[in-house]
Amino acid sequence: MTGATAPPTTSAFRRPTKPPPPAFAIWGTIGFIAVTLLFAWDWRYGIGFSPAEIIENLGRRNPILEGARNLDWSTLASPTVIAGFVETFQMAAIATILGGIVALPLALLNSVTGAPNRTVYVLVKNFNSFIRAIPDLIYAVFFVAAIGRGAMPGILALFFLSVAVIAKLTSDIVDGIDPGPIESARASGATHTQMLRTAVLPQILPGYTSFALYTFEINLRGSAVLGFVGAGGIGQVFNNYYQRGWFDRLAAVVVGFFVVVFIVDRVSIAVRKRLL
Amino acid sequence: MNGPTTDEQARQRLEEITRPEKPFNRFKWIVTAVLLVMFLGSSATVDVQLGQITALPERTVFYLGLMFGPPDLGEIPRATTAMIESLGMAWIGTMIGAALSFPLAFLAATNLFSKPIVFVARQILNLFRAVPEIVFLIMLLPVTGLTPVSVALALGISSIGTLGKLSAEVIEGIDHGPVEAADAAGGGRLQRIRWSVIPQVIPEIVALWLYRFEINIRNSAVAGAVGAGGIGTLLIRQISQLRDWAAAGTALAVMVILTLIVDTISGRVRRRIIRGPQRAVDIGADEDDDDGGGRTPKVPGPAPTTAGNGPLAPI
Repeated sequence: MTGATAPPTTSAFRRPTKPPPPAFAIWGTIGFIAVTLLFAWDWRYGIGFSPAEIIENLGRRNPILEGARNLDWSTLASPTVIAGFVETFQMAAIATILGGIVALPLALLNSVTGAPNRTVYVLVKNFNSFIRAIPDLIYAVFFVAAIGRGAMPGILALFFLSVAVIAKLTSDIVDGIDPGPIESARASGATHTQMLRTAVLPQILPGYTSFALYTFEINLRGSAVLGFVGAGGIGQVFNNYYQRGWFDRLAAVVVGFFVVVFIVDRVSIAVRKRLL
Repeated sequence: MNGPTTDEQARQRLEEITRPEKPFNRFKWIVTAVLLVMFLGSSATVDVQLGQITALPERTVFYLGLMFGPPDLGEIPRATTAMIESLGMAWIGTMIGAALSFPLAFLAATNLFSKPIVFVARQILNLFRAVPEIVFLIMLLPVTGLTPVSVALALGISSIGTLGKLSAEVIEGIDHGPVEAADAAGGGRLQRIRWSVIPQVIPEIVALWLYRFEINIRNSAVAGAVGAGGIGTLLIRQISQLRDWAAAGTALAVMVILTLIVDTISGRVRRRIIRGPQRAVDIGADEDDDDGGGRTPKVPGPAPTTAGNGPLAPI
């Protein structure tokens, strides 16, 4: 009889029933899976994604990886490759700096705090979304067709990319700044522009500079593809070697490019840490 | 006797106090100088013909006129199908990236694993971040060919770096109470992660996936560089080969409109995931929460590093 006391004790501390998951979680998960299946399926609006097929094809001869196995390091010293790297660097630098200058006012006006009134806010916001909706490669192909091949269309494409990225990231921090300085600027009779200059700008400057630096990296990476449509930079070298099937050289340039981006990434992160 | 002198001193002192000297920020000047040198140096040496710059406004207006005056509306069905294909590549790519980055994100979180493991995991993530999509795409072409599947795989692999890094930052921001509770109840490392970490981070990480999807929609244009399908391929063919500007205008419009619609939907879902069911006080109808243009670096001030940070709720 004494042994039977245990079950009532445990039942008093019965595990509480788990609450059912919220409807949003259930429908969200179903939606996620449904979208994935619809896009993965092999039908008119799907891409026909079959893991089994991919695994089967992995065994196929891969001339590109074969090229990567015997890298042709001497390529990195060739004048065209060096010129490509230099041009990529130039394009990224010009585009980032010009884009940064244009993006600053766009970022300020794209925020409730920074816009003088609602109309400007809505207009600028939509303008920024529009610029952001077009990929850099499409800007590049348009400008190549309009003004001819070379670094110029590449700079323009990266310029729009920079404006989009910097304006977006910066405007997100404008609304989160400390409102104190804004109030004191207004209280001391500052105009809207003076307020932006003295109360908003100093607060967002570190973030803005950091985003600009980060955009420089994005531009370096972005320039890898622009050459495929004739918009200059190292991408032109990639495309050239790819079209001719010189995969040993292609692999060497890719490794070189990777090292450059990696170093810039490290330096930029160090500088950004110092900024913030 | 020394009254006026003290007065004078007091005035001076007051001057000093009320107008503090502006601190000299050497770092700021160095950054400015470097930027200036970079800009002037690059502009002076870059291989651009002056004619390309002077012709730019006129040519741009001319070709935009060809594209939209008026656009070829008959092209809408084809452009829409191509755009849906792009969305498919972006979605499947994002899911691949999500699946592959998920375990890596835990390994890269300093509050869960030891330093050497975190270091290795982070370097792997950096590696994926430094390689452009086009490189992965070209490497995959012999395997899956010039198909949207190759693009999805390339987008997925190149999403690993950013997704892993941002997810790791989310994981590092968790509340440690539940982890300790699981620990006290005798849970092993995997059990702690399963029952204490994942439930806390899953909403924000799913929001990050959605936000990466928005970026991948734009990145899927990379397919156009090699001709692997989607709206990028269609547009590039129309512009650079067929020179069918009216059709290109339609395709561009379809691309922009669908991108913006999907962005809006995805942004709303993300906000709902992060903020829960309560109606957020809206500042402006569609506030996107984070950068759609790029991968989020650490932001200063009150904005956290994840996809959920909207404008702060009004006081």
